[in-house]
Amino acid sequence: MKSKHFYSHLIETTDITIELAEIELTSDERVHLISLIEANIHSTVIETVLSNLTKEDKKIFLKNLVSNDHEIIWSHLKSKTKNIEEKISKSVGILKKDLYKDIKEIQKEKN
Amino acid sequence: MYQKTNHPHYEYLRDKWTKRHGKIQSEIFDKHKDSFEWLVNNSRQLTIGTLAGIFLLTSPIIPKIQTVFSSNEVTSNKAIDKGTFIIYDLKNVLPQTVRPLTQEEDKSVGEILSRTYGMNVVPELDGKRLNATYGIIGQEQHLARYPGDNMITHFDNLTEQEKFWDYGMASGLGAWGYFTNSQSAMSQKDIDREKYYIAVQTFMAPNFYDNPKDYLDFFKYRKMLVVNPQNGKAIVADIADAGPSPSTGKQLGGSPEVMTYLERYDGSQRGPVLYFFIDNPSDKIPLGPVSL
Repeated sequence: MKSKHFYSHLIETTDITIELAEIELTSDERVHLISLIEANIHSTVIETVLSNLTKEDKKIFLKNLVSNDHEIIWSHLKSKTKNIEEKISKSVGILKKDLYKDIKEIQKEKN
Repeated sequence: MYQKTNHPHYEYLRDKWTKRHGKIQSEIFDKHKDSFEWLVNNSRQLTIGTLAGIFLLTSPIIPKIQTVFSSNEVTSNKAIDKGTFIIYDLKNVLPQTVRPLTQEEDKSVGEILSRTYGMNVVPELDGKRLNATYGIIGQEQHLARYPGDNMITHFDNLTEQEKFWDYGMASGLGAWGYFTNSQSAMSQKDIDREKYYIAVQTFMAPNFYDNPKDYLDFFKYRKMLVVNPQNGKAIVADIADAGPSPSTGKQLGGSPEVMTYLERYDGSQRGPVLYFFIDNPSDKIPLGPVSL
């Protein structure tokens, strides 16, 4: 089955969602927060990729993104950038740390 | 009125993460705007969406946020969100605080709105203008459309009744009295005029007291484009009431239907809208929500 996003194989969010499970939330609230995590990750990935491309390559990337062909997206990115997968993982890692910290703050407050 | 209470932890994380997301989105658009504009202008597959760039700013009532660049959006053949660009364009023109716009700002905003929504939108028409084109909007109530109209007779169907019942009906009439003489004489136009009405401070329009009758005739059911600059949602509304009082700190009011569509609220969550005249001599532009 095709993964949701071209970068899905690089991102693991289970640790955050497990932390979220510890907080008292309704099902709708939990779903909304998870969607906000996804939205933050998505924007972070797009920002990381665009910041590593030239003006012309940004256009090609966005066009490829619209076509939603993961193979073409990666083929282009790998030919035009260096270590882009690592860069994506790193920037999402920083974001995740922040999100994790936000949840921990709540848990600390609760105890 | 019954109000659902969210868990405070949810509200804390929602606000914090929505804000963070808005910040990232702003950075993306600031740094790479040209590329997105190119995409919009060069994609033949581009259709126009409805999730007007909620990502630049918070939109807590969205049950599940979606991402503007999401591949899901593409596979489901939904639009790339042109609304995002109007939010960005307006953000660059509008002041940080809500105040009357300068002539130059009015001109720029009018051009952006005209271009985006495909109608001629102007701050001044026939030499007349309101006291503002950018102001805080408050919540108004339903208005009686004909003698005897009440909360039981007011709604077309149960869905509307459930959605808009709680706003109640104003004890007084609109600025021009009833919209029609009786229920049997009521046309769709009358129904829409009440449904999509706004109240504006007609009495504060420049030069109003030089010729009040002339001004009131001009304002009566005058169509305006009302836009929430924070989500790009726009609606064609008509002036059917005068107000609110300047002491409220608000510049205009919207019917329950207008406020709901624009996702604007009163009280501590109140926010601004843009309201410009529509130059529409043949009166072909219908009242109601505008699709991008």
